[in-house]
Amino acid sequence: MTSASAPLPRAPKVGGRILDAQLHLMDRQVLDHDGVPVTTVDDLEVSGPALDVEIAPGSPAPVITALLTGSVLGTRIFGGRPPSSRLIRIPWKDVAEVGVVVRLGVKGEPLDASWVERWVRDKIIARIPGGSHDPR
Amino acid sequence: MILGDLLGTPVLDADGGRLGRVADVRFVLDGTPHQLMAEPRLLGLVVGPHSASSFMGYERNGLTRPRMIARILRWRHRGSFLVLWEDIAVVGNRSVRLRPGFTRYSTALDDHAQA
Amino acid sequence: MKRLLGVALGILTAIGGFVDIGDLVTNAVVGSRFGLSLVWVVAVGVVGICLFANMSGRVAAVSGRATFEVIRERLGARAGLANLAASFLINLMTVTAEIGGIALSLQLASSVDYLLWIPVAAVAVWLVIWRVRFSIMENVTGLLGLTLVIFAVAVFLLKPDWGALAGQLAPTVPQQETFWSYSYYAIALFGAAMTPYEVFFFSSGAVEEKWSVKDLAQSRINVLVGFPLGGLLSVSIAVCAAIVLLPAGVSVTSLSQVVLPVAEGAGKLGLAFVLVGMVAATFGAALETTLSSGYTLAQFFGWSWGKFRRPAQAARFHLSMIVCLLVGMAVLATGVDPVLVTEYSVVFSAIALPLTYLPILIVANDPQYMGEHVNGRVVNVLGMVFLVIILVASIAAIPLMIVTGAGS
Repeated sequence: MTSASAPLPRAPKVGGRILDAQLHLMDRQVLDHDGVPVTTVDDLEVSGPALDVEIAPGSPAPVITALLTGSVLGTRIFGGRPPSSRLIRIPWKDVAEVGVVVRLGVKGEPLDASWVERWVRDKIIARIPGGSHDPR
Repeated sequence: MILGDLLGTPVLDADGGRLGRVADVRFVLDGTPHQLMAEPRLLGLVVGPHSASSFMGYERNGLTRPRMIARILRWRHRGSFLVLWEDIAVVGNRSVRLRPGFTRYSTALDDHAQA
Repeated sequence: MKRLLGVALGILTAIGGFVDIGDLVTNAVVGSRFGLSLVWVVAVGVVGICLFANMSGRVAAVSGRATFEVIRERLGARAGLANLAASFLINLMTVTAEIGGIALSLQLASSVDYLLWIPVAAVAVWLVIWRVRFSIMENVTGLLGLTLVIFAVAVFLLKPDWGALAGQLAPTVPQQETFWSYSYYAIALFGAAMTPYEVFFFSSGAVEEKWSVKDLAQSRINVLVGFPLGGLLSVSIAVCAAIVLLPAGVSVTSLSQVVLPVAEGAGKLGLAFVLVGMVAATFGAALETTLSSGYTLAQFFGWSWGKFRRPAQAARFHLSMIVCLLVGMAVLATGVDPVLVTEYSVVFSAIALPLTYLPILIVANDPQYMGEHVNGRVVNVLGMVFLVIILVASIAAIPLMIVTGAGS
């Protein structure tokens, strides 16, 4: 480190809100349109760049295309990588708001990210008497 | 690309000298506008001295309390810097290489002063 | 008037809900072996749980985020998962201990073997979780748990030598015990008073009952009045043991010994009270720990959770609790002594505590979550003092466990 003590210059101003992936997105709770929990942000999918390829000066920067969930959590913790076809994606265009939680602009029920919840509900919980009883 | 793969990757300068690891990836919401939110465009990488992912954000978001914890975590992450997308030469599986003459920027967010 | 009633109800349930199998067993064991020389630890533990519950309740009320969501978000996936594994296993141990406690209490009341009561207890716990509204569940078990006040009454009925009793309060190691076992039980008592599940439950309960900023005052009163009085209740268990069992040289290894002083001081009626109280307290705690297992899992993985939803709308949450109850039952069916499980669970609670405490302390200072309701200066100073205490207890626990042979 050459200039560890001197304060670093501020980054040039940009026109939009800043999001740090780790700080503001990863591991946050995802709620659907009606405030029902869907999943957490287990990882993010980015449109580029291609690995190990020299990036030509002036190339447009990659963007976040989707929130990822499912088995990607396991590989993020224990290493390895699920095949791309096994990733469960919530496309970025469905994201409505990023705050303490990530809110979607769509219903969570039909999403791929909800399949385990649907399966457990239909195969087990809904079959136990009282499973659909409203507690209030 | 999966972002989790990038986090923790060693960052090298143009000559292969080691600078630290990718502690976080900074985006800015000014990409293609969708109905709900604009697309987050990659602005740069937060490079930190530790492999453990950036801890609790104390070094960037201006949290100062409890003072003791803030101090310890900032000290742990002293020397963190932001490098912009324009200064990245190659993103690889094992390392990220920067262009010659890259600029170190402060990692501070918003109007928070950096310690 | 209605508001006052609400406050009173909140305080009473906080008192009645404070004591669980861990407090019952640990306080009685400590009273019978160390007299009142460890009462100061309960006091420290009560201040700690007040602080911790107050912070996590405030985070939940202001941001709507329960404790384990915060843990996952701050610690990240890897450290969060390690924390989940530890917290969940300890929680499962506590579920097992509480169900065993219900069964043992019912055995005392009915002289039917406790092994037969275990499935009854587990099914009853499940039914309440499946069907009963959260607030009713909380209030009924809390109010019935208040009958444990009989321990405090028994202290007076036993007509102790108050002067001698007060003399025991000094924190000194009794002659027949070593410094190491004294320290070990100090940590156990601390863990019994400051169990992480209480915080998981408390913060998730705040979300269940849809607390908002304007409920903060009420929650603060519940905690700051209810918990110390609950702590007093658990101290009276230790006092009873110190009066009756310590001079007789009986060191507590079973629940029947825990109630012995009450029977001696307050007779059959007292015994009836204490049995009702123990069943209610362990049942209430079994509900809380079982729910906490579901809460921690669901909040880590981002599942839909909460008793305010239909079970079908929180399917994985309910399934995980069913599995936990089955596992608890299976463990108890092996014939393992629930009292022993309890003694270990409180020490492990103390070991895991920093993992839960630190993220809450940090988030309670984060304006993104808390807006203007961040920790004040006094809370932060106390918070840091307790961070140190919690760390010391956590680090010392395992070596002490080995040195003392788990306190024996």
